[in-house]
Amino acid sequence: MLDWFAYDFMQRAFVATFVLSVSIAPIGAFLVLRRLSLAGEAMAHAIVPGIVIAFVSFGLSVVSMVTGGLIAGVIVALGTSLISRRTLIKEDASLASLYLIALALGIFILSAAGSAIPLKSFLFGSTLGIGDDTLLLIGVTATITILSMTMLLRPLISVTFDPTFYDSQSSHAGLVQQWFMFLVVLNLLAAFKSLGTLMAVGLMILPATAARYWVSTISSYLLVTLLFAIFSCWAGLLLSFYLADVPTGPAIVLVAGIVFIASLCLSPLGLRGNMWSKSKRM
Amino acid sequence: MLTAHNIVLGYNGTALCNPLDFHLGAGQICAVIGHNGAGKSTLVRTLLGIQSPLSGSVQWAGATKKNIAYLGQSATIDNHFPMRVKDAVTMGVWPQLGFWQGINNAMAERVENALLRTGLTHMADRPLFECSSGQLQRCFFARAIVQDAPTIILDEPFTAIDQSTESQLIDIIQQWRDEGRTLIIVLHDLSSVMGIADYCLLLGDGRGLFGKTDDVVTNENLISHHYLTHTQAQWISRLTDAGGRDA
Repeated sequence: MLDWFAYDFMQRAFVATFVLSVSIAPIGAFLVLRRLSLAGEAMAHAIVPGIVIAFVSFGLSVVSMVTGGLIAGVIVALGTSLISRRTLIKEDASLASLYLIALALGIFILSAAGSAIPLKSFLFGSTLGIGDDTLLLIGVTATITILSMTMLLRPLISVTFDPTFYDSQSSHAGLVQQWFMFLVVLNLLAAFKSLGTLMAVGLMILPATAARYWVSTISSYLLVTLLFAIFSCWAGLLLSFYLADVPTGPAIVLVAGIVFIASLCLSPLGLRGNMWSKSKRM
Repeated sequence: MLTAHNIVLGYNGTALCNPLDFHLGAGQICAVIGHNGAGKSTLVRTLLGIQSPLSGSVQWAGATKKNIAYLGQSATIDNHFPMRVKDAVTMGVWPQLGFWQGINNAMAERVENALLRTGLTHMADRPLFECSSGQLQRCFFARAIVQDAPTIILDEPFTAIDQSTESQLIDIIQQWRDEGRTLIIVLHDLSSVMGIADYCLLLGDGRGLFGKTDDVVTNENLISHHYLTHTQAQWISRLTDAGGRDA
């Protein structure tokens, strides 16, 4: 039953996805609360050309790929802000335009360079092939994220729940929001190698949306999001181990999706709860 | 407590009104009224230090940003945020805490007292989304009580609440005045203005008029600042006269 535990790559995958979940869960929770779920998706695609250019130029180096991804993410974020402030196009449309260009550019460069790394690996990652450098990246990202979140928790709650109130009490609202977006990009990069660009954002958003149906306090929300993320990762890993040819990234996100649909249907704040309260009113 | 010296309100270099000059002391209430777009919200944001005036200066005697309590329009608040009523009230002490500092017993007691004063003790552990608009507004009044600030700014505090809740909230405002706090309240209802404000700042038609409430809230001023039309002013006069005769 526990035969999978004998494999070194499975042990690494379990540790890596646990640490990744600890890091990515609070980021996803606040993305959902700040109604930026789709911005997270867009940023996941926006970092692709930076990673690809770094890969084509410097090979499979985690440091260069993270640097490239960060630069691409910052360029798209600043470009979005510039276009929405200077032209009639709003923020959502400018972000959508830029991330689509970025994604297409990344795939174009990857294909044109005749890369040895298949496109599938970029899009879906390889959780079962995690090396020391990727483990280190995930560990450093989790440390930065957890330290930042312990400092930013109250400001983030305040600026999300009642932005004008936070503005009235502090001059750092812009800094809090920019640092949070930096953490989003950093976590997407940490998840990129194991889950791929398409699936990383799934682990960020789905546990957070599922948890939203179960709880009504912020501390329990963060805890349930974390538990759902860990469960999705570990269940997805086992699914991928026992079912041949099932890539791990999609398996993890699919489990997270099942958790979301189950929460939607069964939780007190989901469809069941709403139907119950409607029938009570009738 | 507050001195605004020749402040010009506006955005991107475009002035909304002529320079404003006014002073408020401790224990005084100033109502801010004006038509939509007159600059009420811009004034509030300027007084809070969120945006700078185009020219002039605002001085809070002895007050920093954290010594100003603010209650905004509830429309800008996400009332589905996963938070209990007590947590939302506790946010009032957060600006006084360091990064890793928890709330102490005195702060917890302030929260309990604020819940009691606003009649929300029974709702303390309920999630925010279960609150009616009146309960939500009382919750934000409780947060302002917890802030324990010498200056309080309220932006349309009586919007979308019933008469009974409004009356409870006016009692709290009167208590704040008795405690020597300075209050600036954006209001729409003229009877509330006349009932609670010592001073009134009337904004409109690119101008601002500040003075004692009785001197500012006159038909002539309200019409000239586009707050009322001639017809509305006549109707209010007739109703007031009829009310006077009935009384």
